[in-house]
Amino acid sequence: MTKYIQLLKLSWQNGFVYRTSLFMWRFRQFLSSVMSLTVWTVIYTSQSSVLGYDQTQMITYIFLSAFLQSCILATALNSLSGRVYSGEISAQLVKPISLFGYLAIEDVADKLRNIFFILIETSLLYLIFIPTIPLPTLLNGALFVLAVLMGAVMNFIINLLFGAIGFWSPDTWGPKFMFFIMVEFTAGKLFPLDILPPILEKLLYLTPFPYFSFVQTQIFLGRLDSVQIFWQLASLAGWIVGLYLVTRWIWQRGLRDYAAAGQ
Amino acid sequence: MPQPVISVSHLSKHFKVHKKQPGLWGSVQSLWNREYQEVKAVDDISFEINEGETIGFIGQNGAGKTTTLKVLSGLLYPSAGQVSVLGFDPWKRQPEFQKQFALVMGQKNQLWWDLPPIETFELNKAIYELSDKEYKRTLNTLVELLDVGDVLNIQVRKLSLGQRMKCELIAALLHTPKVLFLDEPTIGLDVLMQKALRDFIKDYNKKFNATIILTSHYMDDVKEICDRALVIDHGQKIFDGQLKKLIDSYARNKILSLIFTKPVTQKKLAEFGEVKAADQLSATLLVPRAQATKMASKLLSQLPVQDLNIEEPPIEAIIREVFETKADQTHD
Repeated sequence: MTKYIQLLKLSWQNGFVYRTSLFMWRFRQFLSSVMSLTVWTVIYTSQSSVLGYDQTQMITYIFLSAFLQSCILATALNSLSGRVYSGEISAQLVKPISLFGYLAIEDVADKLRNIFFILIETSLLYLIFIPTIPLPTLLNGALFVLAVLMGAVMNFIINLLFGAIGFWSPDTWGPKFMFFIMVEFTAGKLFPLDILPPILEKLLYLTPFPYFSFVQTQIFLGRLDSVQIFWQLASLAGWIVGLYLVTRWIWQRGLRDYAAAGQ
Repeated sequence: MPQPVISVSHLSKHFKVHKKQPGLWGSVQSLWNREYQEVKAVDDISFEINEGETIGFIGQNGAGKTTTLKVLSGLLYPSAGQVSVLGFDPWKRQPEFQKQFALVMGQKNQLWWDLPPIETFELNKAIYELSDKEYKRTLNTLVELLDVGDVLNIQVRKLSLGQRMKCELIAALLHTPKVLFLDEPTIGLDVLMQKALRDFIKDYNKKFNATIILTSHYMDDVKEICDRALVIDHGQKIFDGQLKKLIDSYARNKILSLIFTKPVTQKKLAEFGEVKAADQLSATLLVPRAQATKMASKLLSQLPVQDLNIEEPPIEAIIREVFETKADQTHD
């Protein structure tokens, strides 16, 4: 366990080396939230409810989306396939440490750093907009935290899956780009998914995308009853197990074909 | 009889590589029609290495040296054959095995680029589960031997190549591995730094009775560190034995360096052997090894020789000879 704690410390420190990039990136995230909040605040000056969401719920939704973007979707593993293809992972493969564990810690460090900043940013946004944020019940709060953790795990596994492409090809941008586009429109980052036609919304629930942030917001806002929450979490768990089994199998195949390039 | 710590039997490693036709049209064609060819990086190699031995893998670029090291360290899955290192199958990557060896690649960086080397050392301490006492003792010894005490807290990316290589070695040796794979450890270093690293590697071998396998393009590395050479060409082993035996088998000539008291003509010199270089008062002759002593005494008696030296040809020339002989045999 000590090795993972030490690795977490190092990954955390490493993320603070390029301060300008870090602050600019966070500033971009902050501006994006300011813009969304401003647009929705203006929309609600003329009407009390839009697409079934009142102002309080929508503003809370925007706050939550920004938070979930940093906790679930942001990842340190975007360049994993490149690291596999270039042979960079060899340094970890020859050491007595699990590679998945190593990558998971890198990702956790990245997320902790994000949470650190998002707390500061959220406080600033709160001071600017003074929104009313309805807090969930204790049970829903706990289920929300669980769903966030599970969403982060699923995103980690999907990133491992994309990383495995590096065993055979450096050409990962195409599939990754498709994935980003899908996430952009179907995870609930831009708009709540329940404003879509019911058939489309149902189809989306056959994919893992709503579990990247939409389902979590619905639990927080109390828009799902306990049975619905149970089934959503069960589906999410199913995705995690299924994707993990596929990922493990592909990595086992990939490591057999691994060329440990670099010399 | 000592038990081998490394045992390799009929090892092969083949890669499938994409063969692209040249030019723009070739790129377009490769979208729907890809040709692959199989490259035999290592082809049916067998050898055994005993504890404490220092082995130099010698071969041209692409001969299969690094691939063999990567198989031995568990990075590559062998296409065929059996490999055992310290009684383990390297491919299984068991932690008990990984705690007993280290792989250092001169062109790869295992140190955290943006942090000082001491941070990577601390991480390796945790990864290899070293006690505080063990870690401090080894670190102090290594830092002192390699004289890098003043750079431990400087970001890796700001270190010189030599300082970085020394720190790479420390990171790899903190757990005092029994087997050490060194792939081009002195590449790009100046001569002084090369010597410092060679001396250090020799010391490490003596101190810990570690088994060391080294690949290098610098023959001096092999000559100074290794007592056994394994020559690989096109994935196949073409020589395995003591360096001295390699020299005896493949060095056909000896070099006679002469200084004269009076000028001697080239025509006269040619009667004794092949003239490699000559001016009026000095000359370098190549003579068959078996006749070197006889020819030396003949030179001393027949020419105005002030000084005479008999030398082995440089090891690079011998290795060239090995590959040329192999190529000739292949063509025959």
